[in-house]
Amino acid sequence: MKALERYWFGDVALARPYLVLRFVLALLAFDTWLNMMPQGAKYGVGAFNVAHFPWFDGFVPSSAFYLGVLAFTGVLALSQALYRPHRIAIVLIAAGYTLGWACSLLDSVPYHYLLSLYLVCFVFFPMLSARAAFSRSDQAPRGSVAAYVLFCITTAIVYFYVAAWSAAEGQPYWLPMICCVGYLIISMQDRVELPALRMAAPLLVAAPLAFHFLAPQEGWLPMYMIGIALIVFAPVDWIHKLGRALTRPARSLVEERAEGGGIDERASQVFYLSLVGLVVAPMISMFVDLPGVKTGCTLTAIAMLFVMGRQLYFTPRLRPLWRVASLFGGCFALWITMTASNARFDYYREGALDADRRGDHDAAMMFREKADRYAP
Amino acid sequence: MASVETEPPPAQPSGKARRRTGAFIGAFVLLQFLIPLSYLTREDAGDERFTWRSFTGSEAPSCETSATLERAEGQREAISIEKLIHRDWLDYVGRNRRSVVNAFLQKQCEAEGVLQVELVNHCDDERGIREYSLRCGGERAHETVRTAAR
Repeated sequence: MKALERYWFGDVALARPYLVLRFVLALLAFDTWLNMMPQGAKYGVGAFNVAHFPWFDGFVPSSAFYLGVLAFTGVLALSQALYRPHRIAIVLIAAGYTLGWACSLLDSVPYHYLLSLYLVCFVFFPMLSARAAFSRSDQAPRGSVAAYVLFCITTAIVYFYVAAWSAAEGQPYWLPMICCVGYLIISMQDRVELPALRMAAPLLVAAPLAFHFLAPQEGWLPMYMIGIALIVFAPVDWIHKLGRALTRPARSLVEERAEGGGIDERASQVFYLSLVGLVVAPMISMFVDLPGVKTGCTLTAIAMLFVMGRQLYFTPRLRPLWRVASLFGGCFALWITMTASNARFDYYREGALDADRRGDHDAAMMFREKADRYAP
Repeated sequence: MASVETEPPPAQPSGKARRRTGAFIGAFVLLQFLIPLSYLTREDAGDERFTWRSFTGSEAPSCETSATLERAEGQREAISIEKLIHRDWLDYVGRNRRSVVNAFLQKQCEAEGVLQVELVNHCDDERGIREYSLRCGGERAHETVRTAAR
């Protein structure tokens, strides 16, 4: 194999793509609900909008559209983090999330673009089960995952440009440059022939940690990048042990043993129970009381039905039920997050303040009533 | 017999799959390198999207904005911008973000009987005074820059 092929297609510990994918999806769900949804009242005001890309021009997203897209993306992302992800679902999450920020310049948070790039990489990740990523033995399973290397390179390019622009402005650039070099080489640390790199990895992680603790950043970017750095740079033994501990319930409960093939008598019960679950789960969103969220959650259930496809009836196991359970988990998490946080209050308060400023007293009164109801 | 606790790792890609993957990776990486470089060709220096120049939003202060429109009868009217659009859009306009300024002027031209729309940003810093005028039916606003009087 040529050197470049060895770089892209060499082995990595499967625990890393498994944990990175779930970590980013779970954090993305709460990020959309807690940080993006409260901004929703800005959308559609005065029927004015400018999108990030010219092909969206002429489309004015309303608050309900924006919140619906975010609810859809967040619930689907969390459900995929909770149970074995499906490639179609990741495609839908990438499309929904990108649509969410790209439809308006009102969302110009720099790292939202980075998350879209990550989601594109995730589409090509292996959709690993807990059993595949964490074997019973102490030996961490390894395999060729070019998309994971691409994920590391994507991160390295970001740090490269941070360093390059800093250098161009005469500012210190060594810290982001070390981050860039670290991400360029770290995907090779799990290969048996490179023990020296394994020794250096715990030192290299200091650079991204220091950068994200020190540099001013918007939103939850430091949380994403510190979590990613810890998963990508940590020694494989640590990652394997952590992953085994986190996935113990999944491996013992969810991943039931494969007992032969074919359809058994449970198939029809699973089919009907799954359908009922798909109808009931989005109903939880009725308690969220934000425009568009019910539609968003209903679309998530339809997406889940699409994802399950033939599996819904033709699988002999309980996998469809676990998928529906993960959808329930996503909808419940959205409801609890909205109830326990100020996100809903912030949405209505911002709406009231803006409507007041524009002299739209009816809208201001409606927003204020809701804000009073959900005031902390 | 293999343990049910283990599943095989992803198979090593074949030669054809590697070529396809390689082409996708090459295109994706190239795109990521080129997009931030597009900043160097942007006419709007305040537009730092997709460049990784900063991990925070724009910190440039917004200028004081005023706008007028000219009707077919020759009558001029002041526009109360803050009553028409959200404050965040007003900040974009006040920072001379061309795409938003153009869209705002175009939007005002949609009203009946409007011939021309003008917008002025008064900044106290090196950005000076910027005047934009759009003849309704035109594609793009004309921009005039003057140094701040003070």
